[in-house]
Amino acid sequence: MARRYDSHTTTFSPEGRLYQVEYAIEAISHAGAAVGLRTNEGVVLAAEKKILSKLLETSVASEKMCKLDDHVAVAVAGINSDANLLINSARLFAQRYAAGYSEPVPIEQLVHHLCDQKQGYTQFGGLRPFGVSFLFAGWDKSSGFQLYQSDPSGNYAGWTATAIGANNQAAQAILKSEYAPSMSLNAARKLALKVLKQTMDSTILMPEKVEMCEVARAHEVPSEKHIRFRMASDKELEELCGLANSATLPTS
Amino acid sequence: RAGGAAPESERVTKMSIMSYNGAAIIAMCGKECVAIASDLRFGINQQQTTAVDMKKIYKIHDHLYVGLSGLATDQATLAQRFKFRHNMYELRESRKMRPETFANLVSTVLYEKRFGPYYAEPIVAGLDATNGYKPFITGMDLIGAMAPTDNFVVCGNNEESLFGVCESMYKPDLEPEELFEVIAQCILAGVNRDCLSGWGGVVHVISKDKVITRTLKGRMD
Repeated sequence: MARRYDSHTTTFSPEGRLYQVEYAIEAISHAGAAVGLRTNEGVVLAAEKKILSKLLETSVASEKMCKLDDHVAVAVAGINSDANLLINSARLFAQRYAAGYSEPVPIEQLVHHLCDQKQGYTQFGGLRPFGVSFLFAGWDKSSGFQLYQSDPSGNYAGWTATAIGANNQAAQAILKSEYAPSMSLNAARKLALKVLKQTMDSTILMPEKVEMCEVARAHEVPSEKHIRFRMASDKELEELCGLANSATLPTS
Repeated sequence: RAGGAAPESERVTKMSIMSYNGAAIIAMCGKECVAIASDLRFGINQQQTTAVDMKKIYKIHDHLYVGLSGLATDQATLAQRFKFRHNMYELRESRKMRPETFANLVSTVLYEKRFGPYYAEPIVAGLDATNGYKPFITGMDLIGAMAPTDNFVVCGNNEESLFGVCESMYKPDLEPEELFEVIAQCILAGVNRDCLSGWGGVVHVISKDKVITRTLKGRMD
């Protein structure tokens, strides 16, 4: 019965659901996990790489993380080609804002703009929704360090710590018990990988299978100039994976 | 006509929109370095000097600077547009623009407004990191005609005067400190004969590993 209402993204089902949006969210639950944690020193994003092959060219561009502007980055879960379109749109929005106001774009403005775009595809045009969830990590002068999550429906919310993609409920559970807002950035990095280790299929965390980035202060003074986006180096990942593999999680 | 002054209508002088605010910019090539210098005057309607710290040279990245003369509002707007374009380029291509590429971008942006142009004339100066940090400078007219050279380029209200000092003082293959001396003397001397530019100056000397920026004290008139 419900199938009659599936094909049109812009129509409600009799039970009041938007099936296409739900199917999009379902698609993302099969994608590589991404986890984000916010601290007073910065925001950390870590993600599981799904595309692994010795034949793959490790180019400059990453599979899961993307810089949107100097002070804001995203982690992607879902269909990468869909994500690329939205990322480009976000970058243009950030630059237009900066050109107009001579100020870096506030994070919520950017998230809001992107989510309005996603929402449009659930209401107009008869096109399918974007099959992407994002974790936004950034800093702005008015609200400091922020972490946001968005999904294909166009809904978004601010979080202190959250996860998207495969096994995100398990990740959220661990975060609920182990995350503390007063954590240092270093502790957050370790916890992020610890969480990923639990949600990924393998028993040992390999540095080639994960990516990590952060938006944090480069120096002590929290001015705009000293906030920067940084991808974790291979050496750093090796070290942190080693720690995650040797540590044991407390029994709940 | 017998005696008497010409009627007022014949005495009105035509002002060029490029002289409304006033500017003088020079860029020079040295040995593995480039220098770009500008004056700091900002005037309104030619006569009234309103500021003596007007920015006319903008940093695009560590090895690329652009200086813009002409109408102040247009030069400031263009600087914003170039920053926008370079930021997008850097995000998409994960690399910084070569000076020559950037100069072509500037040329294209200006030519897009061929029949209603921005009243600004840019100078691009930088080092090509992909080619052994080779110096690159070029000047352009307001619709984007490039004139790359390996010695010096000038733009502003009193180009003839600037050309004159550069021709006499410039030497090829100067070291950064020598280049600074030459370009500083050129800009200060060049603006002395022009009432629309001057009131101090700023010089950036760009080398492979650092940029030295100095403010010049000149005649404040």
